[in-house]
Amino acid sequence: MIGEALKGHLDLLLLSILANRPAHGYAVIESLRSRSEGTFDLPEGTVYPALHRLEDQGLLESTWSQDSGRRKRVYQLTPKGQEALSTRQDEWLKFSKAVNATVGI
Amino acid sequence: MSKQIQNYLRALKRQLWLKGLFNADALDEVESHLLESVETGIRRGLSAEESERQALEQFGSVKAVSRAFEKERNYIMQTLLLGIAALAGLFSLYVDTRPTWDDTGILVGGLLLVSGLLTLLGHRRPWLIGLAMGIWIPMYEIYKSHDIMMLVVLLIPLIGAYGGWLVRLGIRKTFHPA
Repeated sequence: MIGEALKGHLDLLLLSILANRPAHGYAVIESLRSRSEGTFDLPEGTVYPALHRLEDQGLLESTWSQDSGRRKRVYQLTPKGQEALSTRQDEWLKFSKAVNATVGI
Repeated sequence: MSKQIQNYLRALKRQLWLKGLFNADALDEVESHLLESVETGIRRGLSAEESERQALEQFGSVKAVSRAFEKERNYIMQTLLLGIAALAGLFSLYVDTRPTWDDTGILVGGLLLVSGLLTLLGHRRPWLIGLAMGIWIPMYEIYKSHDIMMLVVLLIPLIGAYGGWLVRLGIRKTFHPA
């Protein structure tokens, strides 16, 4: 249930995590898990294609770095990504307010 | 790197390759992720074998991951193919309206071939490809001569698009029965 609901909002979550600082995929996924206190526990491999799509859309950019002898692809928000994040945050706020008001929370 | 992870990467590489999605960078990224995940597990006190098992389990099955890659790639691919269809349709209108052009057979063949190729390459909605390619000539003719029967032209790219789509389905069923 949560996994299905999460799919529609994955972009917002990924952009939000990367808004704080650039990070590689593993760190993004760990952050997703820890910030949601384990609620957003997706199959990790399904996050990478979403990161690649966001990069293709120009919302993220990536660079390869060397860390502990291993190549890591580090993602960061582009200016277009910052704008998209801001828009999606507004949309989410409106949407969540409307849902809360409807279900009476 | 353990045999388990090597096998997983090999299977994922094969799946991505079969789906035309193989990308060496993406596979390097997966490898780096899995190795980091295993190291984290070992630091938490798991045995190397258990840590590898958990890392692979959390990452997702080869099938699930390759499907996710396919789905995300399709989003871009679908938009690109639709854009090509619209441009090809506009080009066909340009050719059709040239005063010196009178070879309808070549135009019909071109519309059939290109629309078929676009769905064969992976567009999931043949009707949309047919519409994006075929709407321009009827729109122009209806505007110019109010001849509503020109909508029949739409059938040509629709036939091509559904033809390509059916061939693609046949290929998929033959090579990926599951």
